[in-house]
Amino acid sequence: MYKKTLLATLAASLLLATSAQATEFKQGGTLTVPIINTGFVENYNPYTTGGLFGGVLYEPLMTFNLKTGGIDYRLAKSVEYSDDLKTITVKLREKLTWSDGQPLTAKDVAYSFTMTKDAPAFDGKAMWTSGNLQSVVATDALTIVFTLDHADSTFVWGLPGYHIVPEHIWGKIAAKDLPTFKNLDPVGSGPLTDIKYLKAQQMQICRNDSYYLENRPYIDCMTFRSYNDNSQIQPALMKGEIDWGSNFIADIENTFVAADPENNHFWYPANDAIHLYVNTKVKPFDDLQVRKALSMALNRDEIVDIAAYGYPTANFNTGGIAELYEKFISKDVTEKYKEITTYNPEKAQKLLDDAGYIDRDDDGFRDMPDGQPINFDINVVNGWTDWIQVVQMVSEYYEEIGIKANVKTVDWSVYDTGLKNSDYSMSINWSMVASNPIEAFQTYFLNSQIGKSWHAGHGVHSDEIDALIKSFGLTNDVKKQQDILNQLQEFTAANLPFIPLFSNATWFQYSTAKFVGWPTEKDPYVQPSFYDAGNRNLIINNLHLK
Amino acid sequence: MSFILRRLSFYFTAFLLAISFNFFLPRMMPGDPIEAMFAAAKGKMDLAQMDAVREMYGFMNGSLFEQYISYIQSVFTLDLGPSVLMFPIDVTTVVGMSLPWTMFLALGSLIVALIIGVSIGTYASYRREGFFGQFVPPFLAFISNFPYIVTALLLFYFFGLKLELLPLAYTYDPSIDPGLSLEFIGSVAKHAILPMGSMILVGIATWVFNMRNAMINVLGEDYVTMAEAKGLSSFRVMYRYAGRNAILPVATAIAMAIGFSFAGSIMTEVVFNYQGLGNILLKGIMARDYPLIQAILLILVSAVLTANFIADLLYVWLDPRISN
Repeated sequence: MYKKTLLATLAASLLLATSAQATEFKQGGTLTVPIINTGFVENYNPYTTGGLFGGVLYEPLMTFNLKTGGIDYRLAKSVEYSDDLKTITVKLREKLTWSDGQPLTAKDVAYSFTMTKDAPAFDGKAMWTSGNLQSVVATDALTIVFTLDHADSTFVWGLPGYHIVPEHIWGKIAAKDLPTFKNLDPVGSGPLTDIKYLKAQQMQICRNDSYYLENRPYIDCMTFRSYNDNSQIQPALMKGEIDWGSNFIADIENTFVAADPENNHFWYPANDAIHLYVNTKVKPFDDLQVRKALSMALNRDEIVDIAAYGYPTANFNTGGIAELYEKFISKDVTEKYKEITTYNPEKAQKLLDDAGYIDRDDDGFRDMPDGQPINFDINVVNGWTDWIQVVQMVSEYYEEIGIKANVKTVDWSVYDTGLKNSDYSMSINWSMVASNPIEAFQTYFLNSQIGKSWHAGHGVHSDEIDALIKSFGLTNDVKKQQDILNQLQEFTAANLPFIPLFSNATWFQYSTAKFVGWPTEKDPYVQPSFYDAGNRNLIINNLHLK
Repeated sequence: MSFILRRLSFYFTAFLLAISFNFFLPRMMPGDPIEAMFAAAKGKMDLAQMDAVREMYGFMNGSLFEQYISYIQSVFTLDLGPSVLMFPIDVTTVVGMSLPWTMFLALGSLIVALIIGVSIGTYASYRREGFFGQFVPPFLAFISNFPYIVTALLLFYFFGLKLELLPLAYTYDPSIDPGLSLEFIGSVAKHAILPMGSMILVGIATWVFNMRNAMINVLGEDYVTMAEAKGLSSFRVMYRYAGRNAILPVATAIAMAIGFSFAGSIMTEVVFNYQGLGNILLKGIMARDYPLIQAILLILVSAVLTANFIADLLYVWLDPRISN
């Protein structure tokens, strides 16, 4: 069956604007997606189901799209800050309805946010707990006003983290019962709201006939299948049982792609930047020359190729952010500090020699100027095999410049508390994925993050930097904000609280046997991460039968 | 009667000790459920939310001693609280979904292994000088010395992945509706072949040797020689005269084996993504889901103790001298 779609009415959405032309797409088809869990249970509360239903059952207000750098407006038509940055006004689209036919109004939105004040476990971005959000009020049927205690231009990025739920159903539940509310007969506003069936191993959820975008979604249903781990998803992908994978697949060209080169594809754009966090509070890492030498000693291309099948993107940006935040990277900083991330073992050795770190007891390894041997552990979590291989290679590169470093595999909790409490010498870890890199810098450098964040244990902090990061939220001017980001990158590169390695890949495998419309390198309309409600929502809206 | 009472009180004490271990063991693992959850979210959950989330789950309020008391109460009222992994679903519901599959796998493979093992053991002892008696039991011993996980992975690789003969996951084809249809039962059987097969392969040798050793003792008895002298068929001598007497020690070994079979099922389920207790236990341990871990260990403890108690009763019935 063919249906005409008039996309012009949807021009508000950036995604659609890029392909804005009258197109004819076949309606129908069931998309199959793997989920790693212990099986499905009768619970459709989006807050207690591990992010399964955001963007599927529940449409977000808007999606901040890192790939395009724009905002994809969904339920909302616009969002505006007041001049003092203390008030946010969200305007809804007109004539929105819930899947049960009731109108979706600003009251529902206001309720959805206010509700999380009484159910603090749902307050995912700590809007209420942090004390900044004062009130959320529906001023008319389409307008919601957020009032803040102090100016914060970054506040708005938290809004998509909250699910917009129908007040006429959720409002009947007492606040104390909200966390255990199972939402058995879910009413939503997303593209797929009709739970066809649920079994322990598989569930199917089908299209919302009252969806606000005409003829969307093109697909009829989505099936979630339960798997134990990646190793079971690999054969399922190869057999064509799954259309959309978000999993690590070993040697993907020769396994998955080779099984059906015509239809089986993958695209692995950069995700979070992985660094070797260095504890600058202990010797010899207090010496910047040592940190520089330890960075120059690494051949990042080789590490990515050998330890990680070449899937990640080597990171040569010393400023603390990588290709995920491509549009925000300061080219000047990257250029200025290029030497630090360029593989140059001779230069590294010279730096160490000059700073007095030479082999004093003829054991083949360098010692500190006071004669103490240098011998440290690099922490990595038990069983995280890809990172263990990376750290193994790092220690081999260090041996080449005469530095003794050992791979230390530890349990998650040891690793976790070590990073938070600066109880480590060197530790591999990720960095923050957010709508804007400022959030990564917040976790690196804010004084209030010390002891709480995994990324603030390195010991490089200052009140000026703390103030600089906080000043970001006091302006709405993109230029000024970028200026702050540039200064932060300069600070990071100059002080090197961590050694940049590479950007993790966003695992994304897809089959075009049934469906097309996937984000690809040529059409990167969104970061292809399934476990992001907003991104998933855009992809589901764009998929259609071949 | 006093014997049974003594055994009962012994089992009760053992039960109390075991459930206390069940409480403390998961808590001795580093980390707790909420930390595991925030770690899994990789920064997507605001760390300021940790206390609120901890409060939502509830079971970690109060001191360790208070938690212990309320845990003991929950065991006796069978109100084990919500699982962390599948919040807000009750642990009893979660266990109820997967326990039947584990019982099917553990008991089914035990029974099949028992029948095959006892038959082979009987025959092997009777023909212990021949090729069968010399070759088959050692070969089975060789197979059974592979850990469950290795056998399971080998079967998974050859029959599931390479030959694509049998399904790689699930208890039945997820697109079939459960019910008393031929299609469903066939699907369950097909999905059980590999996991059950790997457990049978590993378990069979125990019964072969148990039966063979018991048989060899019995075969030396005069009444067996007598039966042979009477000119009875070897089948009749083997099963009616020797086998029936030799099976007594085997019967008591079965009680012990039930516990092992459950434990073996845990490994096998993980390999074949079989929706049983073991599969859930592994995920529960990784998520530090205390209530779920406790409930599953409780079932294992109860299974082992009950089986042992039944063995005790069997003893009394088989050998009345014990009760005095």
